[in-house]
Amino acid sequence: MKSLKDIEKKYTPEEMAEGLVFPGTQNPKERETALAEFRKFRKKIASVQSEKSKTISQLLQLKFLMEDYLNADTFNEDFHFGYFLKEYIRRLEKKNKEFAHEIDIDPTELSQVINKHRKPAEKLVFRLEIHSNKNFPAIMWFRLLEKERMYEVLHDRDLINSERKYVTQKLEFSF
Amino acid sequence: MLLKDTATGNKLEAVVEPVTSKDFKIIKKDNARFDKFDWNRYERQEVYKLRLKNDETILGLTCLTEHTDEATNAIEIELLEVSTENIGEKKKLDNIGGCLIAFACREAFKRGHDGCVFLTPKTSLIAHYSAKYGFHHIALKTTQRPEGLMVLYGNGSRKLIKKYLEQ
Repeated sequence: MKSLKDIEKKYTPEEMAEGLVFPGTQNPKERETALAEFRKFRKKIASVQSEKSKTISQLLQLKFLMEDYLNADTFNEDFHFGYFLKEYIRRLEKKNKEFAHEIDIDPTELSQVINKHRKPAEKLVFRLEIHSNKNFPAIMWFRLLEKERMYEVLHDRDLINSERKYVTQKLEFSF
Repeated sequence: MLLKDTATGNKLEAVVEPVTSKDFKIIKKDNARFDKFDWNRYERQEVYKLRLKNDETILGLTCLTEHTDEATNAIEIELLEVSTENIGEKKKLDNIGGCLIAFACREAFKRGHDGCVFLTPKTSLIAHYSAKYGFHHIALKTTQRPEGLMVLYGNGSRKLIKKYLEQ
């Protein structure tokens, strides 16, 4: 572990700021004083935060949660297309009916998609990209559907078995 | 997120992941590359590493502390270190520090803190954290801590995420 003086001898302040963050005080009293001051600042910025900025924060949170879920190897039954769609609408503080009107989708269809009683049509996905001004691109929603489909195919053999009767010829070997 | 090879100008894809106990052993052994701080003191905290997508070599480390109480509502960058060969004028890869700070900003949005991130600067680095990453300086009204804190939030955090993570 190098001392600050040693580090300062080797690098310019600019180089240090680019690649280093030093630990703060280890003194609990000093740390609490600093945090108390920070809280005052935090309160101030929260009090002047606009509604638009709050909405952006909420939507960014949703987008990053979605991205991380899509990049994870695990499947979570709760995180289906309808869940993220419902969250998108909720964070915009809109009623389902109002949102359905904005993207010209039948409110019943929207409700069925949200409640997982119906698969979303392509047009809904494309309209979501347009409604969100490309902040939630169609490809993201399709990846979500693909993840759900992959899980279904892997875990529900009946999906494939129900088609068995239609295949009259198959390969005789297996790799 | 992309790093830049300073010799060729090529962009290289990188990832940020949680540090495992195996990684801590590597960091301890490889202490010439991470010689500024004692990372093993932070083993029980939230520590992340940055590496190239196709290479296991650790290129940067950061320790984050999440302040979930309503009044603080932010993520603190407690510690950050870029590997020795990637810091200073002879660095091989660029943007490691920026990607790690932008990662903290992204986490601060993802966890519902409005992108609010802060760190404790050394006095000589205050202006540079502002110039390089857009941090705001809060001068604390205490005699013990003349350096204050550096804060990034909202639009400032979004800009950093766009610059370093969404290239």
